[in-house]
Amino acid sequence: MSPGLKRTHFYSFHLGKARMGEFAGFEMPLWYEGIIPEHMAVREAVGVFDVSHMGRVAVEGPDAESFLNYVLTGDISSLRPGRSSYSLMCDERGGIIDDVVVLRRSSDAFLLVVNAANRSKDLRWLAEHAEGRDVAIKDLSDDVAMMAVQGPKAQDVIELLCDKPVSGLKWHSFTEAHISGTKVMVARMGYTGEDGFEIYIWDAPVESPEKALRIWNAILEAGRDFGIRPCGLGARDTLRLEAGYRLYGTDMDENTTPFEAGLSFAVDLGKEGFIGREALLKEAEKGPDKVLVCLKLVEKGVPRHGYKILGADGHEAGWVTSGTFSPLLKCGIAMAYVRPELSEPGTELLVDLRARRARAVVVKPPFYDPAKYGRKRRAGT
Amino acid sequence: MKVGEYEVPEGLYYTREHEWAKVLPDGTVLMGITDYAQKKLHEIVNVELPEVGAEVGQMEAFASVDSVKATSEIYSPVSGQVIEVNEELFDRPELLNQDPYGQGWIAKIRPVSQEALEKDLKALMTAEQYAKYIEGLESRA
Repeated sequence: MSPGLKRTHFYSFHLGKARMGEFAGFEMPLWYEGIIPEHMAVREAVGVFDVSHMGRVAVEGPDAESFLNYVLTGDISSLRPGRSSYSLMCDERGGIIDDVVVLRRSSDAFLLVVNAANRSKDLRWLAEHAEGRDVAIKDLSDDVAMMAVQGPKAQDVIELLCDKPVSGLKWHSFTEAHISGTKVMVARMGYTGEDGFEIYIWDAPVESPEKALRIWNAILEAGRDFGIRPCGLGARDTLRLEAGYRLYGTDMDENTTPFEAGLSFAVDLGKEGFIGREALLKEAEKGPDKVLVCLKLVEKGVPRHGYKILGADGHEAGWVTSGTFSPLLKCGIAMAYVRPELSEPGTELLVDLRARRARAVVVKPPFYDPAKYGRKRRAGT
Repeated sequence: MKVGEYEVPEGLYYTREHEWAKVLPDGTVLMGITDYAQKKLHEIVNVELPEVGAEVGQMEAFASVDSVKATSEIYSPVSGQVIEVNEELFDRPELLNQDPYGQGWIAKIRPVSQEALEKDLKALMTAEQYAKYIEGLESRA
């Protein structure tokens, strides 16, 4: 492991149990027993993830709402306290600086959860654009621990430990509560496609991680009868890809717009005066040049980032941004940019695996059957 | 012999890219990936095998294996012609994890000549050398 890597609150748990690897400057668990069993634990039962590498930024003050309306593409005014929303931070060209989750804690206090690799870039961007506004921006990443409990049995595990019932908590809602006597914030959200929660542990400096570790261990203990597993970043990536969730830096970056990335649902063009709006209005009118699609291979092979996509006629049609072997479907799956005319579900394409070409078909995400897997699955399945 | 958790059978030849080669009594060469390689790759889910009949050079990439996370090239330890591939791996790529030196073999190669084979083998490592090599890799990790 290269020196100088940052460690999270849960590092001492991972050490000796997980294969560790570098991600966004952090030494993180890639897997414990294996990506496949960890992936399946989340689809069928419950898994727990260290997500403390992500950035947590407090945005507070009388101008916090108007400031976030200015730097984010979504409508923050309609976000009620206790609710969270997926949103995008764009530059003037409409390029995506980061995708974030914004949690509204009160009328003038918000928490932004940002990508680990973008922490300093985002903080710089926020500070630059906050000038002249009555808003305080504070990086809480090293003082707040964060873990995700994901899977159809996540609620059962949380309810065993939480002093408040969470069954009534709606998707993208959160509440202050206590777990094992420690004050936390429990938010119903996640990045796996499954039901689940993110737990924010306040006043937990990374140098004294005991409090955070106690909660981590209590959750593993409470989840034992449900088949809980600690899960690494490997499973986090296969799970998000099966669910059709984009990953910043891989599926999109500053040279990608929300329309290209298929994230127009996070853009409120009716909202005046946010950064990037003019460029995005223009693009909405003429349409994007490329579109992110989900691809399922219909023959053997595993697509990877950077592989070429060809049309059924053999002409170059785009490139793969994320690809993996789907542990659930047991086939290769991918996200790829293609020309807009090739983006309709059912379109047949070829993935250039270098040694040969494999046939693939454009599918509508998620990759799994939403009646059987994912948070909208039918009860009892 | 064993280096930590890694098996390094004696009598085989090894590459720096973690392939093994075994010279069979008929002069052909059986090859696969080492225990070290399969443990590092973990959960192998797919194998791309060379065509039977293909001519390969020593240390030429001629196959690949996919773990869940990554695709890795497989290099031919000797030059020659691919005369057989382990088709069992199509349906059971996990054999590479379970039995890398046995049922998880990848290809059989017929060397161009005895001289060519001897020259190729000189460029490979013995079990003792490979054991030292992976020991060095582990201590740097």
